[in-house]
Amino acid sequence: MPERKVVVGSSGGLHARPANLFVQAAARQPAAVLIAVGDKKPVPAKSILSVLSLGAVKGTEVTLSAEGEHAEESLTALAELLAQDLDAESPEGSDA
Amino acid sequence: MSDGLTALLDPRGIRLDAVAADRDDAIRQCGRALVDIGAVLEPYVDTMLARERSVPTYLGEGVAIPHGTTDGKDSVVRDALAVLRFPGGVDWNGETVSVCIGIAARGDGHVAVLAQLAEVLLDPERARALREATTHEEILGLLQPTEGAPAS
Repeated sequence: MPERKVVVGSSGGLHARPANLFVQAAARQPAAVLIAVGDKKPVPAKSILSVLSLGAVKGTEVTLSAEGEHAEESLTALAELLAQDLDAESPEGSDA
Repeated sequence: MSDGLTALLDPRGIRLDAVAADRDDAIRQCGRALVDIGAVLEPYVDTMLARERSVPTYLGEGVAIPHGTTDGKDSVVRDALAVLRFPGGVDWNGETVSVCIGIAARGDGHVAVLAQLAEVLLDPERARALREATTHEEILGLLQPTEGAPAS
């Protein structure tokens, strides 16, 4: 299964708004994407509870893995999203 | 870790028998609880409402975690949590919320507690225990980050 390691870039860690944006993006992928921290069991990237349970803060290295259609593309898209500081950006201009 | 939770969750910030007319009322009460324990200044409450309208904070299993926007961080005096239990339930965009955890955070000291909360909610038995908790001790026990929890 293709994997990608990425360091969480959001200043507030992977929860709140960044976690929501990530989970929504993961749900849109045709591939089934899993996310893990360290040696812990990978969990579904599209489940907000699973993602929050990782307790990932800024600088935490996470491992994404994907299976199915367009797995590589899904990994690339989600890895790019995770590496950004999603707390600093406000695409809708409504959360800042 | 235990020091972390104790520092974040002031017993005065736990209310077991709150009643709210609607979602916004519940969020205001969470904000009010954070104001009362000296964790945030008044303007933070409005940013909690704004944040909810922008990205809903309903997590699942009858639990929501209202918190402020990035702008609201200026109104945070110290990181803290408030736990309000609404035994009668609150309509939350069509879901029913029984427990609201209001969050005041500038840093990421509360992430381990949120991770523990998510673990609790992923376990249907413990999720029910949280919704039905009738004592401060039960709430604290459930939210206590466990040994080997993700490091913060």
